[in-house]
Amino acid sequence: MPLKFRLGKDVKGGLSYQDYIYLKRIVQAFRLHRFDQREFARKGEDYLFNFVNKNVGPVDEKRRKFLQGILVGVSAALVAGIIPGLRVLVPPVEAISGFPKTLIVDSSGNPIKASTLPVNSPIIMLFSYPLKDEINFLLNLGDKDGKPVEIPATTVIVPQTGDKYQFPGGVGPNKSIVAYSAICQHLGCEPPYIHFYPPKYVNTAQISAPEPDALTAEAVLAAQKENLPGIIHCDCHGSTYDPYHGAAVLTGPTVRPLPAVILEWDSSTDYLYATGYVGVGVYPTGSNGVPSKDPSSDLEESQFGVSVGNKSSISESNPFS
Amino acid sequence: MFERVKNWFKERINMDDLPFFRTPDYMYHVGDWLGALVAGAFFYTVISGLILLLYYNPEAGYEATQTIINKVPYGSVVLYSHLYGAYAMIILAYIHMFRNYFVGAYKKPRELVWILGVLMLAITLGTSFLGYSLIGDVLATSAVDVGAGILSSMGLGFLVPIFFGNYSAGDYARVLGLHIIFVALIGLLFIVHFFLADVQYGMMPSRKVKDKVPAVYPKAQWTKFNPWWPRNFIYMMSLVFLTWGFILIVPNLLVYLNGLPQIANPFLNPKPAPPPNSPAAASVTTYPPWFFLFLYKIADFPATLTENIVIGVFIPLIYLLIVPFIDRTDELHPLKRKLFTWIGVVMIVFLIQTSLWGDLAPGVPVTWSQVFEAYLPPAIISAVGIWLIPPPSKANYKALVNPLTMLGFVTITIMFVGSVFEIMVSPSLSSVVLVGLFASAFVTLGKLLSPYITRTESGSVEKASISGNESKLIIKKNIAEILMIVLMIIAIVIAANMWTIPTTGYFSNLFGVDLGILFVIIGEEFSLYHYIVYKKPVEPEE
Ligand code: FES
Repeated sequence: MPLKFRLGKDVKGGLSYQDYIYLKRIVQAFRLHRFDQREFARKGEDYLFNFVNKNVGPVDEKRRKFLQGILVGVSAALVAGIIPGLRVLVPPVEAISGFPKTLIVDSSGNPIKASTLPVNSPIIMLFSYPLKDEINFLLNLGDKDGKPVEIPATTVIVPQTGDKYQFPGGVGPNKSIVAYSAICQHLGCEPPYIHFYPPKYVNTAQISAPEPDALTAEAVLAAQKENLPGIIHCDCHGSTYDPYHGAAVLTGPTVRPLPAVILEWDSSTDYLYATGYVGVGVYPTGSNGVPSKDPSSDLEESQFGVSVGNKSSISESNPFS
Repeated sequence: MFERVKNWFKERINMDDLPFFRTPDYMYHVGDWLGALVAGAFFYTVISGLILLLYYNPEAGYEATQTIINKVPYGSVVLYSHLYGAYAMIILAYIHMFRNYFVGAYKKPRELVWILGVLMLAITLGTSFLGYSLIGDVLATSAVDVGAGILSSMGLGFLVPIFFGNYSAGDYARVLGLHIIFVALIGLLFIVHFFLADVQYGMMPSRKVKDKVPAVYPKAQWTKFNPWWPRNFIYMMSLVFLTWGFILIVPNLLVYLNGLPQIANPFLNPKPAPPPNSPAAASVTTYPPWFFLFLYKIADFPATLTENIVIGVFIPLIYLLIVPFIDRTDELHPLKRKLFTWIGVVMIVFLIQTSLWGDLAPGVPVTWSQVFEAYLPPAIISAVGIWLIPPPSKANYKALVNPLTMLGFVTITIMFVGSVFEIMVSPSLSSVVLVGLFASAFVTLGKLLSPYITRTESGSVEKASISGNESKLIIKKNIAEILMIVLMIIAIVIAANMWTIPTTGYFSNLFGVDLGILFVIIGEEFSLYHYIVYKKPVEPEE
């Protein structure tokens, strides 16, 4: 609704409504608050400006700037408030800072009893530790006649680097129970391609067996030479490990032993617990064949999976047909 | 500095020259901007949905939902507000649709805009249903069962795998895909809908200007109105931010209201129910999401399911799609189109009534006599009422209830209940301070918010003298200015507080409440700025 002036025949538009209101208020102020003309003559524009400011309120343009400043301020507050909320974009990463103490249970949730664990079982018994994707063999080792064998603590050598580490030995009533990583250190083959061969399968007949039960002649030879009743063998490229001596390397192509799970046997309940890991790191740091002095430091940086928590259940499968 | 940045943008974007509808002074009230509210809710829901998409796993829907709620930083804030963004969009779309129905906005030349709008509402409901199914709780799975059952009983069984894929096997990939595809479809239709409404035909003039079809301002006339920048922009920002604020505040406060009665659950509970295979699921009365409660009840009617669905869904839907071609008079006043006004009233009443019925007695079969008992009286009463009111010559229909005020009142009430509850649950000093802050901020807001965004004043004072109005307006503008400063201080305090809220757990939802308050504050700041800078004592309907 712009104000219009009529000058003769011309209609001159132009005064906006805002200006009109403002003008009107100034005129009102002139009447109400004695406008001192002498003062105006002396001080000029300044006096007029102050007078208007005082009696009419700030000039609209100025006021508008001020209000815009408030809008900018609140917008800044909004942005400042949203910033901590941007954490919604950071995914929660599941990492564990140390090895949990994990009870090993069977598939229906009952704790495994160490004294009932079958000796030299051809069945692959796997449990996850310390992360859900990290699978490990659980073995109760015996001699050729199926009698449990005490597994002594040994020093294991890493052929890749010549480093050494201490394998703590077996646990259980006969100290015959051990657990090793079930991920081949050569190129990462998993069961059923890598598994334990009990004594009755460690012979030349197995050389012609189909995958994943085949043994290489080299592996059979090495086992016989070392007089080993059973071996862990990976069918992918033929790596062989010695489960009776900390899963040390028996034949290549692997240049690293299988890492071992540190087990704990509670003699009062007969339960088995996993409490840690020894050997070369399977986690990003130290994976170059250098045994980790503090394997839990690897864990902190691992983003491979979720902790198994305080229970890990065994899954079983039979590789032999 | 600020000026230079502003000018830089002004030059690049040339917002003065946008071809959007230029708005006359009198149209700055929410009734004419309902579409902006729907769009605001739509955009909020899209943005929050994209964040959820980063975390959702359709192969483990329920677990993924739980992870988002419990583990993702502020995941529950995003998830619950996503849900309520969809709720708000549905409610606002209904309000937008019925408002335009009653003012006759579907008439020539806006038939196509109307049809697109009705289709968008239908797709929105479908999208929301699919989104609701993604939670994978016992309610979602049973809702999908009912939905699939309805489809197959109507001989449309072949659609079940198309819509739900391998849902019953726990694979929600298809539902997730369709959920997103439908949203994209809404977005596309929205562009056409918006351009037709805002660029092609412009908004509908007041009936004082044009009370006959075609109700359009000629383009030459509307180019004299307020340009899109800055007044429209500022007004729109205030509405969008207020909408976002409520979308964030309501669900994140409701989280703290535990143990709602069962009948309130379909409407108010933002948390998922237990998973379908858990023992806890057995004790849950299943009900569909509230926006499909009406459908759930209709399925209980005595006719065959197919007939029920045809009566309850297809006939109303088809009616809404073809109403521009049935109602061919050039009258716009609702009381000069009594039949159609009555149908509209009956539709609203039946929709609410059936939804409530479905909530109170879900899945309980009803007889024909019960159906008539329930539906005849409101239909008759509204018919008698509408036919008795004489059509006024120059109508003043501004008394129509303002939806935003209503929403505001509801929210404020919930705020109070919520904050009292909060004190009872954890009477720590910080909670008292926080609650005091919320309460005072919102009491102030509640008092001051309504008169500024509603149109009640300009409507009622129109006849008063100009100079009287003007001096009153100046006082009000001064109050508004002080309020702007106060709100800014509150905003800064809240923003600082937000840095201290834990990312997960019980208190994390306070972040959503705070963020919502900030949005309400900035929306209110825009509203006050608009009021101070642009409001004229008399805004005649030109
Ligand atoms: S992966 Fe086991 S031998 Fe190659």
